[in-house]
Amino acid sequence: MEITREEIDHLAGLSDLSLSDKEAESLKGDLENIIKYISQLNELDTEGVEPTYQVFEMENVWREDDIIPQDADREKLLNLVPAYQGNIGTQDNQIKVPKVL
Amino acid sequence: MKYYPTIGIECHVQLSTKTKLFSEVDNDARGKEPNSCVSPVDYALPGMLPRLNGEAIKYAIRAGKAMNCKINQYSRFDRKHYFYPDSPKGFQITQFYHPIIGEGYVELPSGTKIRIEHAHLEGDAGKLTHFDTYSLVDLNRVDTPLIEIVSMPDIHSSADARDYCKELWRLMCYAGVTNGDLYNGNMRFDVNTSLAPEGAKELGTRTEVKNLNSFRSVERAIEYEIKRQSKLLDSGEKVIQETLGWNDATGETTGQRSKEEAKDYRYMPEPDIPPIKLSEEFIKEEMEKVPMLPNDYREKFGGVIPNDTLEVLLDYPQLMGKLGELSDKSIKNIANLFSSVLLAEEKSSEMLEQLPTGKQLEDLSEMKEKGELSSTGMKEVFAKLFDPQMKTKDTCNIAKELNVIQENDTGALEAIVDGVIADPACAQAVADYKAGSEKVLGFLVGQVMKASRGKANPGAAQQILKQKLQ
Repeated sequence: MEITREEIDHLAGLSDLSLSDKEAESLKGDLENIIKYISQLNELDTEGVEPTYQVFEMENVWREDDIIPQDADREKLLNLVPAYQGNIGTQDNQIKVPKVL
Repeated sequence: MKYYPTIGIECHVQLSTKTKLFSEVDNDARGKEPNSCVSPVDYALPGMLPRLNGEAIKYAIRAGKAMNCKINQYSRFDRKHYFYPDSPKGFQITQFYHPIIGEGYVELPSGTKIRIEHAHLEGDAGKLTHFDTYSLVDLNRVDTPLIEIVSMPDIHSSADARDYCKELWRLMCYAGVTNGDLYNGNMRFDVNTSLAPEGAKELGTRTEVKNLNSFRSVERAIEYEIKRQSKLLDSGEKVIQETLGWNDATGETTGQRSKEEAKDYRYMPEPDIPPIKLSEEFIKEEMEKVPMLPNDYREKFGGVIPNDTLEVLLDYPQLMGKLGELSDKSIKNIANLFSSVLLAEEKSSEMLEQLPTGKQLEDLSEMKEKGELSSTGMKEVFAKLFDPQMKTKDTCNIAKELNVIQENDTGALEAIVDGVIADPACAQAVADYKAGSEKVLGFLVGQVMKASRGKANPGAAQQILKQKLQ
């Protein structure tokens, strides 16, 4: 199955990525290979077979509604935020990101 | 040309569970520091595993019951993918294919029924604050449990839309599933509006106004859209299907995105959360926990409390609950005090949290009926039932302390009336009354009230005066 350049651009847009022509071309090849590989499954007749949503066959795995103190506090979590390029980092205990509207 | 509007509303309700939908952290971030109610799950750190809050499922069942909805015994979660800094996961966990709440309806005070298509559980997104070149992200709200309620396009006026939103708010508050704090965004409305020529079979192109957080803004935004779309259609232009924002200050909707393309959320089953399978008994047990709802109270109090007073009081489940504790004969008096005294107080929201006991209110109404308290006296005693120094006392003792119990003792009253009749200052009035002037009676009653320092029962005083002056 051929993946068009438009489809690559659409997918990149959904993830807010900008790709160079070279990257787009290489991803196009990768995606085509992945889809070709997965497409082998189409040889099977799955008419009337319930899709597999999960493999453990469990249901109703719930927890109690109790607050549990977290090992990772605010400082630890904010420390994970990379700091570079001015508009990425932390400020006033919040995560700073370039403006996206 | 005359157009017929068709409106559908999606409403997000924040549930008031103790913890979030998928992590064991505090769900009530009101007044808390940014990013202080978060866990590695909310941060979507590698290896994190969301764990479903069982209480949210129970809340959903109760919310469904309040909207006369069928509860689906089987439901499960899906991932809805989008890229935005308010969601570190890169997707929202929601119920796209198999929602927990099925079809139902909400009945408006007018009797109009608005059908519910379905309602589902999902996690909220974080909060962004935008500055000139950057935005700040607070993840406290990430995965706060939400119920998204999707109505059928059964609404055809801005007034019905407002009534629907308000009734939904009441239902969710009565069912006890949300704090219902609109100011803090506990309920948010997205409104779809389209116009079609009167009598047309096909619906027109719709626009969606997102993120309205008050009943008034829902009403105004729809009125604005109806006008704006009518103008476009009248001049032969087309309505563009788009998502709009609402500016409360200017009273206008504004385009949010320049190009509207079909949304591509790439839904897939959420593999980390096994499906929910509910037994009929479990659903029934939870449904039975739903207390009386606004319509039950309308039926119960309809003949006793005037309609407009009842509709005001219905905004306060605490007041309805309290009125429900009282005997039929006290309900009217106390409902009146709730609407004319309590809700008029500046501190009414605090007072609502510490209502007097049923017995105190019952006694208060009874004292009024027996003539022991005037209307003014009743209001004074009522106010003191909220006074931290007084509130633990019996109503009767408070009335005594305030010295407002009316003199009904005929002997004592007669002595006061005799005194007034004998008073030279009243001689002219007495003579006028005897000569046939009825209107001076009011003056004489006033004198009796004065002599009794306001404690006489004016009705009784008038009767005794009449007898003695015959």
